[in-house]
Amino acid sequence: MIARKTWREVRVMAFAYLVILELLCIPVLLLWPDFYPELQRSTLMKNLGIDWLGRIGEAVTNNNEQVAYLNWCAVMLFFRSANLVCTAAAVLFGTGLFARERENQTFESMLALPISRGRMLWQKVWPPALGLVVPIYLVNASAILWSWQVELDLPKWELFLASTHAAVFAVMFFLLTTLLSIRMRVQAHVAAGVGAFIVLQIGVYMTQRIRSYSLFHLADFEWYGPVLAGNTPAWQMFDPIRSHGFTTYLLLAGAVLYGLAWRALRKAEP
Amino acid sequence: MDAAIEVTGLHKAFGPRAVLRGIDLRVARGELLGVVGPNGAGKSTLFRTLLGLVPSDRGDLRVLGLEPRTASIAIRTRTCYLPGENGSYLQMTGREYLNYVFGFRARTDAARLARLQDGFALPLQQKVRSFSAGMKQKLLLLGCLSPDVDLYVLDEPDRALDATVRFFLRDELRAMQRLGKTILLSSHHLGEVEALADRLEFLLEGTFVAPSRLAAARAELRQRPRVRLRAGQPLPAGASEVAREPDGTLVVRTDGDPMRWLRTVPADAVDSAEIGIPRLEDLYQLLLGQPGGRA
Repeated sequence: MIARKTWREVRVMAFAYLVILELLCIPVLLLWPDFYPELQRSTLMKNLGIDWLGRIGEAVTNNNEQVAYLNWCAVMLFFRSANLVCTAAAVLFGTGLFARERENQTFESMLALPISRGRMLWQKVWPPALGLVVPIYLVNASAILWSWQVELDLPKWELFLASTHAAVFAVMFFLLTTLLSIRMRVQAHVAAGVGAFIVLQIGVYMTQRIRSYSLFHLADFEWYGPVLAGNTPAWQMFDPIRSHGFTTYLLLAGAVLYGLAWRALRKAEP
Repeated sequence: MDAAIEVTGLHKAFGPRAVLRGIDLRVARGELLGVVGPNGAGKSTLFRTLLGLVPSDRGDLRVLGLEPRTASIAIRTRTCYLPGENGSYLQMTGREYLNYVFGFRARTDAARLARLQDGFALPLQQKVRSFSAGMKQKLLLLGCLSPDVDLYVLDEPDRALDATVRFFLRDELRAMQRLGKTILLSSHHLGEVEALADRLEFLLEGTFVAPSRLAAARAELRQRPRVRLRAGQPLPAGASEVAREPDGTLVVRTDGDPMRWLRTVPADAVDSAEIGIPRLEDLYQLLLGQPGGRA
């Protein structure tokens, strides 16, 4: 019952999120080749010294159709969506999960329901998590559907791997927001807390020397590029011993956040 | 009689603030117990502790034969709880809200549900956000009283309800009690709880007031008629002023029987007079002015 109620609360947001992800391809497709030279002349971009921008731009305007299209997918699906839209959606989905119950004074009656706190958390978490993850895969599926237009056979397995990483990345932010939503009593405070964390991470990402320490480094083109090009096999994504295994680290972080959320809810008092 | 609730030496503190200080309570199965007390006396904390929503610091608790700390879900399965501060899901319709809460229950009493729906006359097809405060409270009561469980814990169920609905609710609670349901409720309407409950417990500063002390306080209040004198009329002899209320009503203490004193007062000197109806706030003030709790 809680899952059904939660889904009712987030379904409009999930649909809007899917539409936004799909629409992102339009400006990328239409404007990127013209936009890129302008962007290259930007003093701000030069000062930031972000090398991926150059690499993406070269790839998108590359005469080799295959290279261009693959990188377009990376730009459209991952750089913009996973980093910004997915994170924003994760925060939107998670902020109100529990803090809204407190604000509406329904938290106590929810705790008094004859189900365990663990089940309560699970039923609160999985519908928004699904609403977050499914659009990522759907957008990839639609990219595969559109690929006939450029007479190109998209690497489905690589896209699936990259989508999985993007989904894990988004869910991690969602679980972080959920944890704060249990611990804080006001939605605005939750949003401010996660927002501050995101701003900090973006700040780190924008500072060239320490960029590799930013969480967003795990979801940028430098990470997705090799995956999409087929240079990062699945085992490397998930193997923290023989490889970097960043996806596994994100999964572990998600599991820890879920555990902390469960502990916080178990101890929560009306 | 078999006990639905047995509490011995219950203590609960939030940080340095002791909220419950040695509560002893026994509620028999099928009993209707009223708990009254001023705001902050510990009523809600007591209810939450009984359901296992808040862990107790000390004391032995048994609710429906189960320990709240270890069997909270089992207790909540057999209990319906109406919190004192209870909001609503504004985006739902009344019907959707009922379907939601009934979804957690094994069974509802169809006859009672029908009676309550009839008595409350709510537009269940409308969104809850369009409901008034009283309508929201009726909806919450509908969701809380309709499931067929053993124990009902109601924290101020009469909040925001008008007198007619309160009387209807009283009749319904009596009918539930006749079916053997145990009911624990708190209220700020002393007279109505007294008329409804089998027994009344007065919670003050985290402990129940001893019956003898409560009886003495009530006897004292019976000696204090409230009179509203016409303009310019002096207080007749045989009574002294205890307090003056903002509307000009005097609370007086008579030297002897207040009825006898009132008969001596000229009829044209008094607008209104009230004897023998203790008000909850007067009881609070009187008891708070006295040292000690339950001996």
